[in-house]
Amino acid sequence: MFFQNNFKDYKFFIFLFLLIFINFSCSNKNNSGKITLASSGKIESLDPARVNTIKSLQIINSLGDTLYELSKDGQLIPKLALGRPSFSEDKLKIFINLREDVFFHDGTKFDSKAMKFTINRFKNIGTTNYILGNKIKSIETPSKYKLVINLNMPSSSIEGLLTSPNLTPLSPDFYKDFNNKFLNDEFVGTGKYILKRFSNEVQILEPNVNYWGIKPKNKGIYIVGYANSNSLYGALKSKQIDVLLSNSIDDSQRDKLRKLSDNYKIKEGRSSPNEISFISLRTNKKPFNNLNIRRAIAKSLNRKLISEKVSYGLRQPSKSIIPSIFKKDKIAFWPSYNTEEAKKILRDEGFCNGKILNLPLTYRSNVPTDKLIALSWQKDVNASMDNCLSIEINGLESTTIYKNLSEGIYTAVILDWVGAYSDPEAYLKPLLSCKEFKGAICFKGESVFSGSFWASQEVENLFKESESLYGIERLNKLIKIEKIASESIPYIPLWISSQKAWSQKYISKPIFNGAGQIIMSELNNINE
Amino acid sequence: MNRNLNKTIKYSLIKICLIPISLLIISSLVFLLLRIAPGDPVDAILGSGATLEARETLRANLGLNESIISQYFTFLKNLSHLNFGDSLSNQEPVIQIIGKSLPASLELGFVSFVFAILLGFPLGYLGLKNKEKNLDGISRIIGISSYAIPPFWGAMMAQLLFSVVFRIFPIGGRFPIFDEQPSITGFIILDSLLTNNFSSLAGALYHIALPSLTLGFLLSGVFSRSFRLNLEKSLQSDFVEAAVCRGINDRNILYKYALPNALIPILTISGVTLASLAGGALLIEITFSWPGIALRLQEAIFQRDYNLVQGIVIVTSFLIVSLNLIIDILIAFFDPRIKY
Repeated sequence: MFFQNNFKDYKFFIFLFLLIFINFSCSNKNNSGKITLASSGKIESLDPARVNTIKSLQIINSLGDTLYELSKDGQLIPKLALGRPSFSEDKLKIFINLREDVFFHDGTKFDSKAMKFTINRFKNIGTTNYILGNKIKSIETPSKYKLVINLNMPSSSIEGLLTSPNLTPLSPDFYKDFNNKFLNDEFVGTGKYILKRFSNEVQILEPNVNYWGIKPKNKGIYIVGYANSNSLYGALKSKQIDVLLSNSIDDSQRDKLRKLSDNYKIKEGRSSPNEISFISLRTNKKPFNNLNIRRAIAKSLNRKLISEKVSYGLRQPSKSIIPSIFKKDKIAFWPSYNTEEAKKILRDEGFCNGKILNLPLTYRSNVPTDKLIALSWQKDVNASMDNCLSIEINGLESTTIYKNLSEGIYTAVILDWVGAYSDPEAYLKPLLSCKEFKGAICFKGESVFSGSFWASQEVENLFKESESLYGIERLNKLIKIEKIASESIPYIPLWISSQKAWSQKYISKPIFNGAGQIIMSELNNINE
Repeated sequence: MNRNLNKTIKYSLIKICLIPISLLIISSLVFLLLRIAPGDPVDAILGSGATLEARETLRANLGLNESIISQYFTFLKNLSHLNFGDSLSNQEPVIQIIGKSLPASLELGFVSFVFAILLGFPLGYLGLKNKEKNLDGISRIIGISSYAIPPFWGAMMAQLLFSVVFRIFPIGGRFPIFDEQPSITGFIILDSLLTNNFSSLAGALYHIALPSLTLGFLLSGVFSRSFRLNLEKSLQSDFVEAAVCRGINDRNILYKYALPNALIPILTISGVTLASLAGGALLIEITFSWPGIALRLQEAIFQRDYNLVQGIVIVTSFLIVSLNLIIDILIAFFDPRIKY
């Protein structure tokens, strides 16, 4: 009795509201001709001295040039350098001639002083300056376009280090007030693109019309960050973006994207595999202080099955901790899957027949793939290693795991790694090198931080020897290191992944360089 | 009335005095919990490949090698000067980061709250008006499902339907990437109005529509159910019966007698809803990549950015406590039955 009929007014407003939004959704299009590229997460900084995320490094790679770059087949290509570096007889000096036709985005000229400024700045304030490993003693600039790097010790890995985007040259004029602090939201380098606008969520790159080399094929790039895999996938599917570049895409969605690509609805580009996933085994305590048990565990890992179950076969099973791009013969040394042998080893060690070896396996709970790896391995072990081995899985947030790795809390833990620069050493040293050790147990060094606590005098000697060697001789030393590690099994490599990008049908196929970075300048609208 | 007003003022002053104490307890708890939690910012910043020396240097630079007691007193000292320090992960002052993210969350929260009311009240009203009819059933189903649906699922479904399948709304973000966003106060809708930039306004509304409608829908059930119940109770009360006997018309009875009395309990519920709004906002912000304070808090927790987490929790707590205080005062002012 108290109510009047006024519902029709609501209907009108709801209709009007929807009409406005449908109209706006049709009109809100990118008319600039720039390509919209989406990736996961936000960008905190574009300062090469500070960044260490793949996404930031990708952008810096487009905004700046490094002295050298790694080609798709693993060859060192000079970019801002003129030719390969030459070394003094004692291998303690590196001579690099620089290009003379390069300008920074602020109009100042690129020269040896700019390079010296950049390297010293990274040495002083760089977040990941530990990758230099006290190799560089000082920098000299004998002439405007000649750079001399003085080393504390011979270091052949320095070539690979000079491909690192962290050493992208910066304009000393522009960064003069930021010599000892980061400049997060601006970038003045020499690259193909100029940073037009920066916010944590959106970055706009425009072609550098004064670029010294081949100019970009597109009119610029909008880079946008989305917070989750569903948004990224949905944005590509609904054509709200032109290119999707992310390794944070769930494997089920990657599989769908692959199918779309197979049906020519989108295009898929991939880099050479550069991200290794592995299981780190704590070798300084029971049960993995016993090499035979480590071997048995390694033989119980069915890489092919896990790859198919977890990643739909998209991740390449690997028995190596060095990406194949760095190896000429592609040999892999780690033990193959063989449950019969694994059971025999465990029986010889007194397990099976009622005594089951229980393996506590820790995974990063915020990495969905890790949980699936752990579950798949557990299930497979239950089916094939009955009465000998069982796996008890435990998920923890990645930050907690990284903190506790060096405390030796985890018996076995699933991890992954991408080298900080393009060199096999960038994969071997962080996992195998040790500063203080006794026998095969490391007390202080990189292998402690990787959770294995494994050490080898022979490996340390080989690391040292490799520093003064070059080319195939050096590679052979590094491969020998991997062979020794594969026999001691402080880690079990699982698979190796590529960086991937997907583009709409009307955009060219994404191309990557040898370091796994997308070449944004090659993206173009093929309908234009 | 005067006596009641004096008591309300006295009550408000006591509550205001209690705010710093509440905040001190909250901030101390957050400080302690963050330090007890495993993991530290050094590992989050450097990852697992850094050397021991690099870790130690960074730990010293961030002041993390001091004792917890010493860190706590430094924290309290800075807090007393309203200085939250710099973010451990990007060295930007925490207050600046909050200043950039908070307007986005407040804007989303406000618009969602408005949508929740615009959706909840008419639903409750229609249900009561059509009691025991089909519309009542529909209203009840919508009301119940809105708070039964898990926010993350609701948000994902909304995104999938309206952004991917029908392509009506953008998939995420706060503003069209192709346009320059106005920046005066950080509230894009307000800034667009202040600069008379209607293209920006349309862009901002277009982006806020789906997240706020989703969050508004998820919160609307509380309003529709409580509005329906309280209005029904109010309409059955003695004073409404007396008003009917006095010959007052239906419209006046509804708007002047029943509605104001039905709204007082809803005001109380609003306080609770504000807290759920803060919780729900996190999931909505993550799903729709909304660059707000909740998304920033999640990132800061992952990075173990102690200063930023502390800053965000203190500011958010202050806002919730203050809003609840305002609601308490309003209730005390409007409801003469409340005694202190």
